[in-house]
Amino acid sequence: MLPEELHAQLQKKIAAAHRPRELAIDVMYAVQKHYGFLSDEGLLEAADLLGMTSLELEELATFYDFLYRQPVGRFVIHVCDGVVCWMFHEGSVFDYLCQKLGVCAGQTTADGLFTVLPTACAGFCDHAPAMLVNGVPYGPLTPESIDQILQKLRSESCDLVVCR
Amino acid sequence: MPKLIIDHREIEVPPGTKVIAAAERLGIMIPRFCYHPGLGSFGACRMCAVKFLEGPVKGVEMSCMTEAQDGMVFSTTDPEAVEFRRYVIEWLMLNHPHDCPVCDEGGHCLLQEETISGGHGLRRYEGKKRTFHDQDLGVFIQHEMNRCIHCWRCRNFYQGFAGYRDYGAMQIGNRTYFGKYQEGPLESPFSGNLVDLCPTGVLTDKVARFKGRRWDFERGPSLCLHCSLGCNITSGARYREVLRQEGRFHEKVNGYFICDRGRFGFRYESHPQRPRRAKVDGREVSLPEAVQAAAARLGRISREAGPDAVACWGSSRSSLETQAELRRLSRGQGWRAPLFFNDASQDRKVRNAVSRLDVRLAVSLREIEEADFILAVGADPVNEAPMLALALRQAQRRGAQVAVLDPRPVFLPLEFQHLPVPPGSINRCLCILLKGALSSRAAQGLLEAGAAHFYDALKCSYDQDPGLQDRLLALGRSLQPSQRAVIVCGTEIVRDSTPDLAADFVLLLNTAGIRTGLFYLLPGSNAFGAALLSGTAEDAPPLHPLIEAMERGEVKALILVENDPFWHFPDKDRLKRALDRLELVVALDYLPSPVMARAQVVLPTTTLFEGQGSAFVNQEGRLQWAPRLHHGGAPLAQVGGGSHPPRVFLDYVPGSEPRPGGEILRDLGAALTPDPGAPAVDWWTWLAQENPGFSNASALPAPPGGLRLLPEAGKPPVLSLEEVNRNADRVPEGHLELFLVDRTFGTEELASYSPHIQKAEQAPRLLLSAQDAAQLGLAPGEQVTLRLPGGPLTIEIEAAVNMASGVMFLPRHRQLAWQKLGGWPMLIAYNAIEKG
Amino acid sequence: MNSNPELVLLRNQREDRPATLEEYRASGGYEALALAVREKAPRQICEMVKDSALRGRGGAAFPAGLKWLGVKEDAPHPRYVVCNTDEMEPGTFKDRILVDADPHQAIEGCILAGYAIQAQRGIIFIRPSYEQGAQLLERELEVARQAGFLGQNILGSGFSFDLTVHRSAGRYICGEATAQVNAIMGNRPHPMKGVHMAAQGLWGLPTLVNNVETLACVPHIVRNGPEWFRRLARTPTGGGTKLYAVSGKVNRPGVYELPIGTPLREIIEEHAGGMLSGGEFKACLPGGASTRYLPRQFYDLEMDYDTLKAVGHRLGTGAIIVYDNHTCFVGATLNLQEFFARESCGYCTPCREGLPYIRDLLWRLENGEGKEEYLPMLRQMAGHMAKSYCAFAPGAAEPVISLLTYFADEVREHISQKGCPFKGVDKPRPHLWYPPEE
Ligand SMILES: Cc1cc2nc3c(=O)[nH]c(=O)nc-3n(C[C@H](O)[C@H](O)[C@H](O)COP(=O)(O)O)c2cc1C
Ligand code: SF4
Ligand code: FES
Repeated sequence: MLPEELHAQLQKKIAAAHRPRELAIDVMYAVQKHYGFLSDEGLLEAADLLGMTSLELEELATFYDFLYRQPVGRFVIHVCDGVVCWMFHEGSVFDYLCQKLGVCAGQTTADGLFTVLPTACAGFCDHAPAMLVNGVPYGPLTPESIDQILQKLRSESCDLVVCR
Repeated sequence: MPKLIIDHREIEVPPGTKVIAAAERLGIMIPRFCYHPGLGSFGACRMCAVKFLEGPVKGVEMSCMTEAQDGMVFSTTDPEAVEFRRYVIEWLMLNHPHDCPVCDEGGHCLLQEETISGGHGLRRYEGKKRTFHDQDLGVFIQHEMNRCIHCWRCRNFYQGFAGYRDYGAMQIGNRTYFGKYQEGPLESPFSGNLVDLCPTGVLTDKVARFKGRRWDFERGPSLCLHCSLGCNITSGARYREVLRQEGRFHEKVNGYFICDRGRFGFRYESHPQRPRRAKVDGREVSLPEAVQAAAARLGRISREAGPDAVACWGSSRSSLETQAELRRLSRGQGWRAPLFFNDASQDRKVRNAVSRLDVRLAVSLREIEEADFILAVGADPVNEAPMLALALRQAQRRGAQVAVLDPRPVFLPLEFQHLPVPPGSINRCLCILLKGALSSRAAQGLLEAGAAHFYDALKCSYDQDPGLQDRLLALGRSLQPSQRAVIVCGTEIVRDSTPDLAADFVLLLNTAGIRTGLFYLLPGSNAFGAALLSGTAEDAPPLHPLIEAMERGEVKALILVENDPFWHFPDKDRLKRALDRLELVVALDYLPSPVMARAQVVLPTTTLFEGQGSAFVNQEGRLQWAPRLHHGGAPLAQVGGGSHPPRVFLDYVPGSEPRPGGEILRDLGAALTPDPGAPAVDWWTWLAQENPGFSNASALPAPPGGLRLLPEAGKPPVLSLEEVNRNADRVPEGHLELFLVDRTFGTEELASYSPHIQKAEQAPRLLLSAQDAAQLGLAPGEQVTLRLPGGPLTIEIEAAVNMASGVMFLPRHRQLAWQKLGGWPMLIAYNAIEKG
Repeated sequence: MNSNPELVLLRNQREDRPATLEEYRASGGYEALALAVREKAPRQICEMVKDSALRGRGGAAFPAGLKWLGVKEDAPHPRYVVCNTDEMEPGTFKDRILVDADPHQAIEGCILAGYAIQAQRGIIFIRPSYEQGAQLLERELEVARQAGFLGQNILGSGFSFDLTVHRSAGRYICGEATAQVNAIMGNRPHPMKGVHMAAQGLWGLPTLVNNVETLACVPHIVRNGPEWFRRLARTPTGGGTKLYAVSGKVNRPGVYELPIGTPLREIIEEHAGGMLSGGEFKACLPGGASTRYLPRQFYDLEMDYDTLKAVGHRLGTGAIIVYDNHTCFVGATLNLQEFFARESCGYCTPCREGLPYIRDLLWRLENGEGKEEYLPMLRQMAGHMAKSYCAFAPGAAEPVISLLTYFADEVREHISQKGCPFKGVDKPRPHLWYPPEE
């Protein structure tokens, strides 16, 4: 269950909105942030808050790729597979990343820390090859920088962005 | 009117016509998937591409998205368009499982047809097919997502057209999945239309699953008998039973669609216990023998105890022929005039309503869709006449304002204003509304019409709830600018005078220059016909005197025609006692009802599927004709030992004895009076003599669109000021008024014999307002026992916030012994409601 | 970073942080707004924008002034302005730089648009990977509100307008104007055809959707006049400067604000630092992933809408993705089709089914399973994408069409060599991170 405070806060926000549905994404983000992913329970709570049916919200939740309907690791790594980053695959930095973490795209490391997901061009082509970790961009990546980033993430928590 | 040239042929079409529809008028069926005339254009499938050669549009465009304009020249066979369409169908088939042999859509599959017409025959795609998991969508609809071609029709219908919110599209791209959030029954009582709409085998009829290909069926036009709207249906029978039904287009009535009660409620026809043999004193005899026996006994009673000792009790579900023959029989024999309703108040309301409709006032369902303001009075569309809800939704989507004046927690799949007032206050509220509506612009018109004094005298206060009074006045005012308003009036829970008041209301609005139509809901598929045949209020016998006469022994014989009083009559014990006093009960029916078991003479009748064809008059006075679908007989599945075709050939059809009720009654009449003496008048002439309402009907079958049996001008306003202004009959302190109501599934007699409809029912519950529940100290979901005149009735309660207080509603549910009620509406004291 | 005197949009760009309200005002910021609300009628602003030759920077290049004038004066209220900061087209990142450099410029642009069409509310629609930008905008919106540029009774003029940030949850189609309106309304972001946004957009009310770069130009137009703006361009029909986002095999990828119509060669060689060592210019996508490959022969072309149109190309968003001679174009196109097939909203058939088919054929070509008959199929299918419901699939087809126009030999080489001739170099790995198929 959502904590009362968050629930009340969302309720207030929705009440102030032009139309509740406009806040569908924001509410789902908030719920996702609370549960770590957009759980079934969270989706139902969000639907309830928004006055939408579970189906109506699921129609949206499953459309977008920054809403996670399955459990994800503490860090969600959106690896950019846009064409510019693709061009810089010589070093196979992403192969390196996957090898390093021992997972393929869509999978979460055994320690529950990292989930690797491919993403459409992330808008950091000037830093290609790039990736987002919990919404924070990194690039241009090299095997060395990947090591450093993973190291840093393992030791400290990451400054967080809304989608996680 | 734009004129255009399609494949070298010229056609002129009304403005606003889409090119795809224009071509159809020429008989050119441009391939399509997402476009459906009932749903409109969506431009999603891109199958309907044609090439525009000249005119305001050029190049390959979608014919469903392009409006016909003057000077357009286009080709459906242009190579570019043809090649494109070939690709579209190839794309659509990439992931299709090609499982036609095991798909129920096979044989009437639009995808099969367009695959051929699109010219796609060879599979070139070498990739893998994506697959999906299916969901259990309840008893009516089978889901097989792998076959989906993403035409979006299902979602466009379900959410857009019908307004339900539990089925839709999830995921994205070619992974898009049509289904529910979680598997489970579809909430919409219109879900069956998905079967008709889905162009392939994703959504198929679960009830008819694997029962046959379309060409195996004897298919034909038919009518829905499950409420008074008279929706048009195509029925399909195979091996002597109806197996599958579809919506049939009727421009004025149901459009393309029907509700699930109508689609899936047909199984009474093949009920295993359906009476198929005539019986006399429990012994099976031939039908002519039974008719002779009935005639002999009836004749004797009539002679010995006088013709008043014989009574006839028909029903509003019988065909017009059967109803008329019943009337003819009783008239010819001098018996008591027949009854067609099971409740005196209902009888009055229906007859009042029918007498008020005329050509100017009556509107069809289609006209409701075109209205800009609709007020429903004492009506719960989804439960009483489901397709009305869809019509209201279409009106609302086009911008109409919809309001419902009804005490129940009415649900409609649309935005509407609900004014929950108790039935006793509806008249008063209508008057306030009328006052609001006539307040300004109207006054002038009224003065001229001399009705101003009526307006002046309208009381305009509702002291119970001033807030409600303001809402009513405001609603009335918003009626003023209306161009096409409609008043819908139910006849179930309203007071006897309400149907008349509604008609007066409509007349006044029209007098004041606000064009307003009138639309009644009636109890039964042929309630209109029954009302016309009942004659005027004065000459029809009320129900209770009949029961009393039975109790006193004055009535000695009763002919029950397609009527199961045990279903309808609210006092079962009394009915039993009354029937027990009779010397003779002659029962005609196709339902295995309890009276069939008690009757001394049982005469099995045909359903509308097997008769010679039957006529029914819907609630707007439209006489419609259902021809014979099949020749009857017990279904092979019941007599064939499970195998088909039968291994043993007979020279008769087992179970084919039943005959149309009207025919049996005619034979009965002939057997009673072998020589009628006077020459028989032709049937229609006779009907017109009985009631001028029939005078414009001359022959059957009626024309395809049906025939309106309505007078040019109906009655003038009938209600006196005194009556209109009479204060709401308030419920005495410490009491609740109890009403019987309908549910979409579970209360309608015919459909309730269908096992799959039974599975879709919700358990019956006693509905009362949250306020009253709190007052009684009852929690939602709690069990209560009502101490009723006929004994205790235990039931779970449902407490609703959006309903009037002071009233309770009990569904006339198959699973509920509501026949302990004794009568309705009735007052229940608080202390007659006990917990547990 | 840039000290170029001709800078308009990026003149306040700094390396370390976004420009503040004070810095923006010091450079003339919000003067246009003050001028507009005090001295100009809303329609006059629309006319100025029309006269400036400003064309939509979101890709479609529709004349901005015409779009604004499309909102009828007697249209119903409330009206809306949507500032499209979705920018999910591969290769584009100019909007991020623009917002990060000078958020108030974008905000002022939105307010002016709001004034010009007499809107009550504006919505900045932003993609999830620009969350930092979203937070920045939210902060600066509050600053602008405090300063009286936003909210009730702006600068005492009686005009009220407020702006909020709407976060997206990803998906390229949300950038399409009508899909964006659906997304904001909490509907599935399908595009809507035949809906006239100026009359019936958000909630069925008049709505203006413009790219953030388009809107950011407006304060300058209002302040300096349309004539000034037109003269910024290097081509006769152009107007203003353009943010060229250069990426790929160049030494200095980044966003360069240059007069519209700057030749490609100049952009690459002078501004983006030339090709990465060892590589030669082979072709570029001149305006993001949904434009056609612009091969070497157009190296000296002026990068403007009309000049490119004249040679059968589109400037799109002006995001120049530069490929060198080591890049396999079958692979590159395959990557793009992976993207488009994955992002298709699924509404119409050509896009939903046709793009995966194209992707499949390209994958086969790239992986040695190619056949000669794929070429006409690809050509036909890509051509037919133009008959899709919205502009997504036609855009997706552009690289394929130009692949077959300019690099058919390279495609055939894949067939004859039964594989990619660029082995080892830029090895395309479309399923790079996917688990092996069962
Ligand atoms: C598939 C697709 C994606 C688009 N994405 C964007 C986008 O991310 N940002 C943008 O400004 N315009 C995008 N557009 C263009 C918009 O539809 C619209 O034309 C634009 O926002 C209008 O603004 P402008 O006239 O200022 O360019 C996209 C169009 C299509 C067909
Ligand atoms: S489920 Fe059927 S009706 Fe719905 S989109 Fe798919 S094919 Fe069409
Ligand atoms: S029927 Fe025209 S696009 Fe589907």
